[in-house]
Amino acid sequence: MKFTSITKWEFKNTLKSKKFMMIFFLQLSVLFLMIIIFNSFVTNIESDNSVSITPSLSGFASMDVLDQSGLFLKLINPADISIVPLSYNASMSNIAEGKTTGFLYVPGNADQKIRSGQTIDMTIYLDSSDPKSSVVRDEVNSTTQIISQSYSNTLTDSVVPQNTTIPTVKQESTGESLPLQIIKKVMLVILLFLPLLLFGNMIIDTVVGEKERKTGEILIAMPMSQAQVIIGKSMAVVLTISLQVAMWLIILLIAGFHIDNPLLVFIFIFLTSIPIIGITSVVAAYSKNFKEAGIGLSIAYMGIVGFLVVPVLLYLSRKSFIANISPMTIVMRIFSGESIPPTDYGISLAAILIVSIISYWIAIKLFERDDIMFGPRPGILRLIYDLITFKKF
Amino acid sequence: MDSNEVMIKIESLTKSFGRIKALDDLNLEIKRGELLGIIGPNGAGKTTAIRMACCILKPDFGDIKIDGISIHEDPIRIKSMIGYLPEEPNLYERFKAKDLLKYFAELYGVPKNDINGRIEYLLELVGMTERKDDRINTFSKGLRQRISVARALVHDPEIIILDEPTMGLDPATANSIRDFVRNLKGNKTMILCTHYMAEADSLCDRVAILNKGRIIDVGTPGYLKSKIHGDVILKIRIQNIDDVNGYKEQIMKFPSVAAVDFVDGEYLISLKYRNEMSEIVELFGNNVNSINTKEPTLEDVFINTVK
Repeated sequence: MKFTSITKWEFKNTLKSKKFMMIFFLQLSVLFLMIIIFNSFVTNIESDNSVSITPSLSGFASMDVLDQSGLFLKLINPADISIVPLSYNASMSNIAEGKTTGFLYVPGNADQKIRSGQTIDMTIYLDSSDPKSSVVRDEVNSTTQIISQSYSNTLTDSVVPQNTTIPTVKQESTGESLPLQIIKKVMLVILLFLPLLLFGNMIIDTVVGEKERKTGEILIAMPMSQAQVIIGKSMAVVLTISLQVAMWLIILLIAGFHIDNPLLVFIFIFLTSIPIIGITSVVAAYSKNFKEAGIGLSIAYMGIVGFLVVPVLLYLSRKSFIANISPMTIVMRIFSGESIPPTDYGISLAAILIVSIISYWIAIKLFERDDIMFGPRPGILRLIYDLITFKKF
Repeated sequence: MDSNEVMIKIESLTKSFGRIKALDDLNLEIKRGELLGIIGPNGAGKTTAIRMACCILKPDFGDIKIDGISIHEDPIRIKSMIGYLPEEPNLYERFKAKDLLKYFAELYGVPKNDINGRIEYLLELVGMTERKDDRINTFSKGLRQRISVARALVHDPEIIILDEPTMGLDPATANSIRDFVRNLKGNKTMILCTHYMAEADSLCDRVAILNKGRIIDVGTPGYLKSKIHGDVILKIRIQNIDDVNGYKEQIMKFPSVAAVDFVDGEYLISLKYRNEMSEIVELFGNNVNSINTKEPTLEDVFINTVK
């Protein structure tokens, strides 16, 4: 277990490093700044008099409606929700398949009943596991209020015929607005995953640094395998990231953010850091110098960010099961307080495990190769050929 | 300790880097407690050979057995038996001297209770006790080399491999490193790669001459010197160089002459014995500018062997 010695000394030296401490506190400052901006942004969105900086979210959520009276179909706000007129059975099937978030049933004679002063019963079916369900509910509530206010004004006008003023109708939202939900559920998650990418590059410093400083030779001469060197160094970075994520979580909780099950959130982010460091180790093991590693890292991190974020958006729009492949989706769902079935956890954990095994295996094999450590370094195509033909790899 | 027992056995070692063959069927045996010097021109394969002995590089073909253990079978065990000092004393700049030794002691698996005592002993041995709390980046090249030597010995290895340990050092520091090696001689099996022939001559029990990845010759410094040259080299600088070959033919007729070279207006005549020296000088008559004699050195052996 010699790798624990490497982990211990690397971690110790990281914490002792002035450069690291500077970056560490700089990031915390940025986090504080983001919290302030975040709060201002939310206040702005929730304020009636604010200047809207909300991006267009047309078609973000969808709702099926059976409304023969046409009352709701006319008045519901289409800016956020796509309305699809459908029957009960077809809508239920859509909800089950995750194609729509809810179904609203409005009685056929609703318009006449309201005009005659009677109450009507509407029914709304929502998929509670879908984070967009609250958006749909809010929109239905606000539309109901608009209709209610409109008819109240009409009735008042009919009692006092001389009053001919046209009633002004203003839409009001209740609960959390859609942009706010996106900020809370996606932005906050992205914020917590940020240390993974900010500190992941430390492995570049420790592995490529060994090559640039030419200290790698004595490290390989130590009585341990190259696998232990890579794992030891990676674990030190994982520990550093864990420390950072834990601090960010504590700060967010202190700042008043509601996070359901922060421990589970921490565990998932911690687990996600393992394959990310693995992929970074592959870049580090192959790179000759920091410049090359920087280019490789930029390309790799674009892929990683895509892998993490795209499934989240996929989940928000379609509630796709495969979206759980991204640990970020799981963390977002934990944030939403959803009850997550074990299979959804399983798919994410399987992805973490598979990517970890493959990335560390490649990193170790690269680090073990004489030609990569001491030259002449083979090209990527040559390495792929060696991998396919099992030659030297 | 059986001094005839083979400690390191190199068998048919071959290694290529791309199209360049660094080692070509290298065979060598080093006895327990022996100090073997490896000399050779740049690119001869010295560093490649010792990196393989340290299990840093893997051979394309062949094997090295350390105390009977193959590098293919148990490289971790072999690494723990070797203290390796690489050519460049590259160390972790931000470490303090004692922390550096502690780090490597842990990696070598030195028992925790022994680490501090061992570090104190080694710092004393290399004269670095007063600088133990200083960072490596404050050290001169000589101090770095001293701490590198201490690092290589931190686990009290059975075998010590030194790659150019005095390269680029001032004469005083180089001498202290040589004294250090001399003191270890006999207790440890050592390999010393060097460009300094005098160093190899004075320190090594045997010297191997390596060129183009192959062992050209191996033996004690005395044996190598006597094999290439005679007892003495007679150097005669002449005024008129018109009849070089004529002189050569006449010189070679003397039974004491082992070899004749003409380099830069000077005859280098290797003599097996000194009796005919005055007669050889008389051959040149008034054409002589200067006459010198010198004992053959390992450098002469080296130049003659690899030319």
